[in-house]
Amino acid sequence: MEILNKERRVFVLGGGISKFAAERVDGNMRDWMNEAVLEALEDSGTQIADIEHSTTSYFSDHFDKQLKAGAIFHDNIGMCPKPNVRVEGGGGTGGLAIRNAYAYIKSGLCDSMIVFGGENMGRQVPSDVAQQFIALASDTDWEVQVAGFYIAYYAMMMTAHMDKYGTKEEQFATVSVKNHRNAMYNPKAHYPMDITVEDVMKSKMLSYPYKLLDNCLLSDGAACIVFSTAEWAEKNAKSWGSKPTVELTGTGCGTDFMRMADRPFPDPGIIHFRGKQSGAQQAYEMAGVKNPREDFDCFEVHDAYSGVELVTYEDLGFCKPGESGKLAEKGVFDLGGDLPTNTSGGLIGFGHPVGATGVGQGVEVLRQLRQEAHPKRQVELNAKRGGMDSHGGTGTFCAINIFERRD
Amino acid sequence: MGLEQINTLMEVFTAEDPMPFEHPEGDPWKDFREVMRIEWKMDFTYKHVLGKYSKFFIELANKKFVTTECPGCGKVWGIPRPLCSDCLTITKWKELPGTGTLIGYSVSHFVPAFMKVEKPYVLSVVKLDGADTLFTHQLRNYGDSTDDIKVGMPVKVAFTDEKVDHPLLLMHFEPA
Ligand SMILES: [Zn+2]
Repeated sequence: MEILNKERRVFVLGGGISKFAAERVDGNMRDWMNEAVLEALEDSGTQIADIEHSTTSYFSDHFDKQLKAGAIFHDNIGMCPKPNVRVEGGGGTGGLAIRNAYAYIKSGLCDSMIVFGGENMGRQVPSDVAQQFIALASDTDWEVQVAGFYIAYYAMMMTAHMDKYGTKEEQFATVSVKNHRNAMYNPKAHYPMDITVEDVMKSKMLSYPYKLLDNCLLSDGAACIVFSTAEWAEKNAKSWGSKPTVELTGTGCGTDFMRMADRPFPDPGIIHFRGKQSGAQQAYEMAGVKNPREDFDCFEVHDAYSGVELVTYEDLGFCKPGESGKLAEKGVFDLGGDLPTNTSGGLIGFGHPVGATGVGQGVEVLRQLRQEAHPKRQVELNAKRGGMDSHGGTGTFCAINIFERRD
Repeated sequence: MGLEQINTLMEVFTAEDPMPFEHPEGDPWKDFREVMRIEWKMDFTYKHVLGKYSKFFIELANKKFVTTECPGCGKVWGIPRPLCSDCLTITKWKELPGTGTLIGYSVSHFVPAFMKVEKPYVLSVVKLDGADTLFTHQLRNYGDSTDDIKVGMPVKVAFTDEKVDHPLLLMHFEPA
């Protein structure tokens, strides 16, 4: 990492979200991408004609039954013949796409990049078929065939966490309550709700220990962010100087074995996300983060299931292993707490259109750092730094990115 | 003639603006809210190759649980792999006794219908004796209640005599 050119910095100029919802029958993925792009261009005060490069973020070729869909999204917004590249890493796709923008701009391959991400999450097929498509993101020869599917995998991770640390179902239920509640102040969220721990506990048991309200949802939607160097922004972005300046200051990526069973046992075994631990270490080092709970004002984390959010707190260093449940109960990660997490509502409240999810996290952190979020979900800025964590599989691909306000 | 010419037509409808809160001056897409939905059927069957770990499945049919041991670093992988990913040495087949310990489990009361299993369905991760990493499979015959299932309990590989749709289903785990 010593080779990174410190003079060349990457800034976050603007973002856009096309509403996350159960089924967007008003259009298809192309239409949502267009909407997110138009909003990001307006927010950044840039012209598509000036932007030099794009990155496409979507996960499933099955849901959209369209290979190389990136070519379509890219030509729809008039980017041809300029370069485009697709990034893919399951649920971590959007986080990896932001990291890609950093790499391309930092290297000098381009001075500006537009990242668009979206997903058609398969309400167009019966839910059984959608589950089958998602199950294909685990090992199809060894896991899918034993009726492995994602809720069951994550539930296994959580029973192991409960056994080792004494984590309780009521503790991870608080995550669902918080994220649904935060979503109430995000008009683009799929699943805003005012619920209690009891509601979560009483919801239908899907796969012990996870109940219906512990899960995130399949959502349709799209998100977009424009990145550039300071020099490019000064020349091409009307927002430059008129809106608070936000910089992409850290990025990390970690991985683990596709099959949980293959991971070094007993550490991390099936309990922890090793890829988040190493990815966070890289990102924190780049951004000079020493104590994440103090050094961030907000953090979007990949809450595919409520318990995943707890384990993520531990693996991102917000607390010690095994402490997350108690701290969540105390409200440490609520709005107004030490480190508010998933102020957007997260995957559980905002929604999870896979390719849009990680990009949408970036839009939320940008809004928070510019103090543009809804007053009821706006965090207080102290460190002027926000983070995001996105992963695919059961932590097979992990991406951690950091934005900082500079003024 | 007209729409009825389209064999796959499901419906034509007017969609609502999903983000009216963004459009106080009116819907910018108002001329594009008429939407057609059609049915699109796809159906495939693959001739799937199980690759260099096929022997595992062949031996299951002989009621044996085999996996791979690395002659380079000595690691025994719970799920066989032809190339040791720790040291990139080509591995050797090794039979295991099939006994082990339950490391994690989940009890599913909902299982996607494409999986033809009985509910509640218990998926488990097991540390097999003689292996360094784990193996994922269904836990069956756990008794009257899933409350009896405990992390750390001894389990074993069991084989079925029934016909199965995938060779991996020739085995499952049971309490030992
Ligand atoms: Zn080896």
